[in-house]
Amino acid sequence: MEFFLSQLQGFGGAFAALVTDPITYPYIIISVFLGIVFGALPGLTATLAVTILTGFFGNKIPLDYALIALLGAYVGAIYGGSYPSILLNIPGTAASAATAMDGHPLAKQGRGAEALGLTTTGSFIGTLIGTAALLVFVWALLLISQSIASPEKALLALFGILLSGTLMSEDLVVKGWIAGLAGLAMAMVGLDPLLSEPRYTFGWSYLLSGFQVVPVLMGAFAIPQIIDGLRQIDAGKVIALKGRILPNLAAIRRHMPTIARSGVIGTGVGALPGVGEDVAGWVSYGVGKSASHDGKNFGKGSIEGLLSSETANNACIGGALIPLLVLGIPGSPPAAALMGAFKINNIIPGPTIDPSIILRVCAIMVLASLTMFIMGLFTARVFIQILRLPQTVFLPVVLILTTIGSFSVGGGINDLYLMLGVGALAYFMNLMRYPIAPLVIGVILGGLFDETFRRSLLLSDGDLSGFFTRPTAAVLLALNVALIAGQLPVVRRTFAKLRNR
Amino acid sequence: MGIEKLQAELDKDLEMLRARDFWGALALIWCAVFFLWRTSFIPFLGENRAGVSGAEWYNSAAIVPFGIWFAMLLLGLVLLRIAIKAGGAKRAFSAVGLGWDRQEAIRIGSIAVIMGMFIFALVPRVDFILASGLVITALIYGFHAGRVERMLQSTVAVILPGIYALFMHFPQAEWNKPHDDDWLVMAAWVLLTLWMFAHDRSRIARATPWVAVLTPLILVTAMAFGFRQNVPNRGGLLFSKIEYHYYVTLRPLWRN
Repeated sequence: MEFFLSQLQGFGGAFAALVTDPITYPYIIISVFLGIVFGALPGLTATLAVTILTGFFGNKIPLDYALIALLGAYVGAIYGGSYPSILLNIPGTAASAATAMDGHPLAKQGRGAEALGLTTTGSFIGTLIGTAALLVFVWALLLISQSIASPEKALLALFGILLSGTLMSEDLVVKGWIAGLAGLAMAMVGLDPLLSEPRYTFGWSYLLSGFQVVPVLMGAFAIPQIIDGLRQIDAGKVIALKGRILPNLAAIRRHMPTIARSGVIGTGVGALPGVGEDVAGWVSYGVGKSASHDGKNFGKGSIEGLLSSETANNACIGGALIPLLVLGIPGSPPAAALMGAFKINNIIPGPTIDPSIILRVCAIMVLASLTMFIMGLFTARVFIQILRLPQTVFLPVVLILTTIGSFSVGGGINDLYLMLGVGALAYFMNLMRYPIAPLVIGVILGGLFDETFRRSLLLSDGDLSGFFTRPTAAVLLALNVALIAGQLPVVRRTFAKLRNR
Repeated sequence: MGIEKLQAELDKDLEMLRARDFWGALALIWCAVFFLWRTSFIPFLGENRAGVSGAEWYNSAAIVPFGIWFAMLLLGLVLLRIAIKAGGAKRAFSAVGLGWDRQEAIRIGSIAVIMGMFIFALVPRVDFILASGLVITALIYGFHAGRVERMLQSTVAVILPGIYALFMHFPQAEWNKPHDDDWLVMAAWVLLTLWMFAHDRSRIARATPWVAVLTPLILVTAMAFGFRQNVPNRGGLLFSKIEYHYYVTLRPLWRN
């Protein structure tokens, strides 16, 4: 009890400091607005919103305000994806793909305004559930993570890359692993962290400092979107809204169990390293279909179905920040972009992170969700107008944004070459259905894996037993082995046989 | 019938994907072998490394890269096996098997050329506002209507000043003087805009010059004077004037 009270007290202090600072408001209002716009425009994603803002705000303003801008955009973008899902049947972000299943049929039935109102409420409550979990669990995990040393960190980084590769792959799991390994390989470029031995620099001095995070993020997430999106697309007709968007209290109370369940599922999925909001939305939708009384109407215009995915994807944000802040392992692709912002500010997320940063993150999340809620209910018609903007107009603007963003972080033309190179690679990977998120997570965690793995070996004089004699390391090693073994045909056949029996 | 048709399309997509996977796996195997060879340049067993002699294998900077590239090689072979078993090798040499589409190839090729020229030729040499304005106009005009001739016209409008800037000011960026490449880019931008108006009277065409001028102008001025960050080509034709008037004409107004 004392623990919760002290947590609440700390959070209260951070929240009071945030809301009494007048500078907070321009940042939060603009960033949430931009986030919703990015989410609402099909072709732009939440990850891209956070990435582009990292380029602009990452190291140019104090971290306290940069966090407001980045988290505001993150919360806004995940929510904003619901607009085109409901009104156009085109998911604005991957996280809102499940939303279209029920949102669009509801809009076609003339219940678009009701769907938007409940989506806004569900997203708001979902974000609060995720933030509450972040506030409580991050401290418990931080205490546990004090005992985590190099072997555990190396195995956790590997687990994050493998899990992300396994779950984010839409074709073969092996492609997800290849993407993760490609990211790890990219992280090897430059001077190695222990002996300063140059690796794969090919005589180019720029590469001595390794691949910079922001150009890699911009290249991986923006360039394929631009190449793929610059085509003539019949965006369809935006369904006109009828009735009021503001939901009534009775409806919210009736759907509260679904919102609460989806919030918990979203937070849990988000806490898995490398698994994003889209997986959270689908998992919650699947669970909702089997758990809800309205399950048979899922896909035909069910409010329960709509709330299952929309609440979960926003709750996932808080969950995704737990592994990021506790272990330095991003819980989702936008969290990976956020990690980039921490990195360029020389903040190392993990057991040594300044606790005041965590409290501030929680306070920003609450304020951002409140801003999103108010904007969603009272200015929804503005965002609906934005849906009419063709992507052939805004994607060239995105190219200029990413160019100047990449240039300004590192201050050099070489960063632009890197961005374009990574972008070309990511485009071809997209074309062959390799997931991009494991690549980026590999780049971000590669340095951590290399350093901690080798430090473990160095301290034990090359003795590998440290990876399985330490209890936590043994559990993590078992998880890694299980993840790989679970994909082997012989293991899958054995499990199938056991299930049949 | 509808489901059968959908299934047939999915099967065709999968066949195409496996044909591409065949080539992807071969490229991956080649990369893995190449980088394993490059990794062998990093001291591994007992050599002097980074001034430390007599170090053991577990100290080596090559240990993790070796692991990564061996794993890549293994996964490349697994992918190759999957692709061959699914018939990818049989279809790997046919255009239909690879899903070749001429219009799509022109579209992607044009975007690649425009982006490549922008990043490699224009940004390092030409005023950022001019280069961005030209590229925004080219991308909107070239790709909004989805017509091949417009894509090619846009590509030509970017490629000509791009090649000029690249070759006349090769190899290093020349941001201060002379401004011949800046003038050429501006001429290409104006000509493309006029050409666009002559062939397109739509709402999008009317909005394009506004987007093309305001986007880089706002971004560059915000970055340079708001965030006080480095921006490309401070000595460019337009930005040098903006910077001069900001510090000489405007700033004293509030500084004094």
